[in-house]
Amino acid sequence: MIKFLLEAPLKSVSLKNLNSYNMFWTSLMPYRDIIIELVILLSLSILTAFAVNYFSPRGIALFGEWDTSEGVISAKSKKDVISHELEINTVLSAKKTYDGGKAVFVDARSQETFEEGHIKGAVSLPVGRFDEYFDKFKKTYPISSYIVTYCSGRECNDSHKLAQFLLAEGYLNISVFIDGYPAWEDAGYPIE
Amino acid sequence: MAVRWFLGVLFVFACFHKIASPAHFAKIIYGYYLFPDFSINIIAIVLPFLELFAGLALILGIYPRSAAVIINVMLLAFITVLSINLIRGQQFDCGCFSLGEAGYSYTAGQLLLRDVICFILGLQVIFYKGCRRWCFRQTGSIFKNISIDNCNKKKFSGQ
Repeated sequence: MIKFLLEAPLKSVSLKNLNSYNMFWTSLMPYRDIIIELVILLSLSILTAFAVNYFSPRGIALFGEWDTSEGVISAKSKKDVISHELEINTVLSAKKTYDGGKAVFVDARSQETFEEGHIKGAVSLPVGRFDEYFDKFKKTYPISSYIVTYCSGRECNDSHKLAQFLLAEGYLNISVFIDGYPAWEDAGYPIE
Repeated sequence: MAVRWFLGVLFVFACFHKIASPAHFAKIIYGYYLFPDFSINIIAIVLPFLELFAGLALILGIYPRSAAVIINVMLLAFITVLSINLIRGQQFDCGCFSLGEAGYSYTAGQLLLRDVICFILGLQVIFYKGCRRWCFRQTGSIFKNISIDNCNKKKFSGQ
């Protein structure tokens, strides 16, 4: 075997040698072949992945925003709902808004979670059941109301989604309290 | 051959929802708190297609060994990530309404076991030396196909 290995490169390649040389390589674990195959499969999948992502309506950016200190995290897809301009970044400013008395705090979380605890005076408008709850909401709160949506923190983008729904319905004065209920509760502010 | 098809079908099915909602998948990757921020989206884009192509390759019999290698490498990564999270005891729960409960019905331990089993199956595909049936392109580069040779010869020299 070793002799074969040493001799093979030195001998001139005739047809006879080529066949057995080939057979030698392909009969054992053919690393060279596997590497070629891997390169083919990998490049094909990577190219297709980026191409589909680029053209798909649900494609995402190459680099998302995953730093919670910058705001709500997002994969930055084409259908993204996050607009950082609407965000209220600190619990303190949210509290100031709350103290002003003019804002309506709207909870985007589910009914069950809302009942377990919410900001005092907040309204439940679960984003997953928007259509169900919205009619009643619209009757109680006119379009001119100042709305502050929130959900469970910077890792949740439901607050933004709800804000976009409300904007689409004509509410113009909306902010998003991104630190959400857990931060409000931790700060010891009024809950119920 | 059955093992090949089982693994292939499993992976092709598993990757559909990841391709359908990459943003959702990216968020799940973020939830492991293991990967650096810049890599999360790239992984979310590329991984599902790796799964798709490797799975298809296994089913069609195109380069089954390399496809199994790719799958096993991915499985190793999944196993590592799951184990780390199990040890950390961390549960990603963003408390989002819209992140739905479907698909979260398995515990990390069950997923880990499933991945380990698949890994072993993958090893079988990689190291199988006999005759492979229903292969388009067993191995070699694009122009070589030795699967027919393998099946026709009872025993080949050089082994």
